[in-house]
Amino acid sequence: MTTVARRKTPKAGRAASDRRAARPGSGPPGEPGRIGWLYALPALLVYGAFLLWPLARGAQFSLYHWDGLGEATWAGLSNYTATWTDPSLRGAFGHLLVLIVFYSVLPCCIAFVLVAAMSRTKIRGLTFFRTVLFLPQVVAMVAVAVAWRWVYSADGPVNTVLGWLHAIGLPDWRHGWFGDFTFALPAVGVVGTWVGIGLAMVLFLAGVQKIPRELYEAARIDGAGAVREFFAVTLPGLRRELAVALTLTSIMAIRNFDLIYMATSGGPGDATKVPAYEVYNRTFNTGEVGLGCAIGVTLAVLAFAVTAGIRRLVEGKDA
Amino acid sequence: MPTLTRRGAAAAAAALATVLAAACAPGSSGDEPESKAPAAVSTDVAKAGNVTLTVWDQEVQGGQKKQIEELNKRFQAKYPNVKIKRVSRSFSDLQKTLRLALSGSTPPDVVEANQGYASMVQYVKAGMLLPLDSYDKVYGWSKRYPKGLMDLNRVTKGGKLMGSGDLYGVSLNGEIVGLYYNKEKLAKLGVQPPKTWAEFDQALATAKGKGEVPIAFGNLEKLPAMQLYGILQDGMTDKEAVRKLVFGSGGSWTDASNVQAAQKLADWSKKGYFTKDSNAVKWDDTPVNFAKGDGVFMFGGTWWAAELSEKMKDKAGFMLPPAAQAGAPAATMGGESLPWSITSKSKHADVAAAYINFITSPEAMDVSVETGNLPVLAASKQPSEALLKEVSGAWAELSKNDGVTPYIDYATPTFTDAFGGPLQELIAGRKPADEVMKAAQDDYTAFQKKK
Amino acid sequence: MNARAERFLNHAILALFAVIAVFPMIGIVAQAIQLPHADFSAFGTAWREGHFAAYLRNSVIVTAVTVVVAAVFSIMAGYALGTMRFRGSAALFLLFLAGLTIPTEAIVVPLYFDLRSAGLDNSYAGLILPQVAMSVAFGTFWMRAYFRSVPRSLLEAARIDGASSWTTLWRVLVPIGRPAILTMLLLTTMWTWNEFLLPLVIINSDEGLRTAPLGLSFFQGSHKTDYSLLMAGALIIAAPVVIVYVFLQRQFIAGMLSGAVKE
Repeated sequence: MTTVARRKTPKAGRAASDRRAARPGSGPPGEPGRIGWLYALPALLVYGAFLLWPLARGAQFSLYHWDGLGEATWAGLSNYTATWTDPSLRGAFGHLLVLIVFYSVLPCCIAFVLVAAMSRTKIRGLTFFRTVLFLPQVVAMVAVAVAWRWVYSADGPVNTVLGWLHAIGLPDWRHGWFGDFTFALPAVGVVGTWVGIGLAMVLFLAGVQKIPRELYEAARIDGAGAVREFFAVTLPGLRRELAVALTLTSIMAIRNFDLIYMATSGGPGDATKVPAYEVYNRTFNTGEVGLGCAIGVTLAVLAFAVTAGIRRLVEGKDA
Repeated sequence: MPTLTRRGAAAAAAALATVLAAACAPGSSGDEPESKAPAAVSTDVAKAGNVTLTVWDQEVQGGQKKQIEELNKRFQAKYPNVKIKRVSRSFSDLQKTLRLALSGSTPPDVVEANQGYASMVQYVKAGMLLPLDSYDKVYGWSKRYPKGLMDLNRVTKGGKLMGSGDLYGVSLNGEIVGLYYNKEKLAKLGVQPPKTWAEFDQALATAKGKGEVPIAFGNLEKLPAMQLYGILQDGMTDKEAVRKLVFGSGGSWTDASNVQAAQKLADWSKKGYFTKDSNAVKWDDTPVNFAKGDGVFMFGGTWWAAELSEKMKDKAGFMLPPAAQAGAPAATMGGESLPWSITSKSKHADVAAAYINFITSPEAMDVSVETGNLPVLAASKQPSEALLKEVSGAWAELSKNDGVTPYIDYATPTFTDAFGGPLQELIAGRKPADEVMKAAQDDYTAFQKKK
Repeated sequence: MNARAERFLNHAILALFAVIAVFPMIGIVAQAIQLPHADFSAFGTAWREGHFAAYLRNSVIVTAVTVVVAAVFSIMAGYALGTMRFRGSAALFLLFLAGLTIPTEAIVVPLYFDLRSAGLDNSYAGLILPQVAMSVAFGTFWMRAYFRSVPRSLLEAARIDGASSWTTLWRVLVPIGRPAILTMLLLTTMWTWNEFLLPLVIINSDEGLRTAPLGLSFFQGSHKTDYSLLMAGALIIAAPVVIVYVFLQRQFIAGMLSGAVKE
């Protein structure tokens, strides 16, 4: 979850700078000129040395074959080609796409239902529900992984419930979830859904409160039911929040290292390998540092593209 | 805004390009560490002054943990000027972190570095481990150990081949992968401990028919299936062929008998002889399940014996895997536990060597027996528990027949994923045996080419 | 559907998902205290065997230093970018903004090798500096937004009173900006506390420096089969952030929200 909010903000920044541009002549107080740089310098130094510099070094490493121990040899772009030609890496990026559905699309859908439930009628204990539903966001992913390993274990709650269902005549749906080739990836995905719901819900809840009540009243006078009301009023009103929620949760899916490392290590077979895990695995387990860096750089580009892409998708309609 | 972004990005990119062009390529050629001449070795630990020796081991399970704690205590009592800083982590955690730590700026002094092309050979290649031949001459380890066991911890110059060359570690415990069985359950099923694979198949069918779990098996980590495969392979292939194949000097994983071994594994899985959803069960949970009674048989290493003996008393039995025909000598994987090595950056190599000498001394072998382990060399003491006696007997028999074959994960640095992954698919019934063996061979060929 | 039925249904939906949200956590607690025995000994054992006292202390040190340093730097940089006009300020802002999308995965490998060459692996500094860097990207952005929202009249008044920009910042703006700063502190605390990949790679040999989440990972490695211990360990490392969250949930949520959709 570390990830989540660190990267949530581009939109607000854009809004703020637009405002500034729209307000010419409001000159700043205080000493003008270079003192601004002086204030920004400490942050810039740390940021440059420990974020931008490693990023550049990562890009440099990605152009070499290197086992991390001995000498490196020039590789050109072959590490990047390998991310597409190596079947297990291609698989990892494929898994990422599946996980984005679970981490991003599903939580948003569920959050819409929850927000509808919260806003259509008066709810007792709204704060309580909000606090509880958001809770998975603040628990360390490492602890989340430990908890879900138990949830999915052979005699854990999921299999127990499925056992009851089997006892009353339904087929036997029990599985060793994290060790099953078909179900391990969705099982990981469900954990992501579980974590993401709270974030999406809180975003939508704030957005809904900004939608003018008259729109809802008008819709009701027109005889709109809950469903039509949602598509006619709520969804258009939440477009902006939806974009933010999709961005944040997609980036969570991209940065899915902790859970995979703790819960499945990419197994069974390669079934839950994801790029974030492969960065670590290739670098430190199999000694392909250049390839690990190439995956890392690809992930950074992907994260940037998702942020920019979703924003454009949603805001494009305004233009 | 957009133009600014672009200009900023262009400027940043140009600046970075300049800086990076100046920065050198990553990595450097590792200097080959030279061991000092035997005459320069100091064996007098007491004179070394106050030393803190950082030791990394993977002895976190019951018996082994006790063993190392006891040995460390005795060593420190003998040399009060030495303080041992013990860092222990599970086998898989050690595998994941050792590479990082060895290449770090302050590596530990003594580490347990697994044999094989995935670990020790790579570290040697990078010059991270100290050749121990001088210490061997001083302390006479080669005289203590049979040649076959010493050779497992040897790597040729530059990390080309394992099995010969310089010595890089010494092991403390012997280990083999054998067949555990639940005596109570066998009696109830009316089955004798199987002498041949045919008898074993019969026993499995009987157990399954009576509603028992025939084989306790947990394969989340992929390595367990590789060990099980290795046992089946040993039952179908000549042991010399297996050795050659693993050490990279001939043979193919797609040879008929090797495919046959995989087919056997698939058949067992299909017949439901394994713990349900075995790919989801953790390796370390296997003996726990077995002790609880979920499983008539279990293939497993002697490293589980101490724990099982404690939990099951004389209900548990241990034997070598069945032979192809009755009376024929059995072969199985094993050899010795992880070797203790000295890092090339260690500032206390002499003390480290004295430590390794101490924990592999005859006194240490007795400690090994007392704590329920299988010492690599004959000890003056004999185990008292029934299971441990059987383990010790099996080890003696195997050594006599020269039946030890190497672990197959030694074969390539990526074998656990490249072969273990497909084996999981084989067990899940998603891949046929020949494809699995082809995957293994592909990885093997690729590595041989790179070497 | 009449209003009453709908109201009931809405509560039912919320209750269902609330249960789903807390269920794994309740499960952990139940396992840790070995219900129905209500035996708390697992916590003591986990605490001792997992060395969680030391790991929590490390986490506290790393988190506190990271958060405080990052906050001071962010406030200063945000102040400059939010209230001053200087050459390159727009580009500088965009540079910080870009940092918001850089995943740790993209920098952790080179970071490891370079910190190692600098002798900073296995040290507090090696954990703190990169996390300060990640936090100032967000913090600068966040504080800039706050300083932009400050009425200009306030700044001008301070200036007329003869306050320097430094005094204006720390004596006038920071005190009234406490809510924004608190939110920033909470978020960076949470991220830093929960960070796993970075300590995993940087603290690779000195186990005395492990942070709490890293400690849990190794604890899981050596106590795989003892679930009550493992669950107790998970609770120990998750508890500090969860407790802070429960008490300050408004600020937490407000922070996550306004950071994202501030208009």
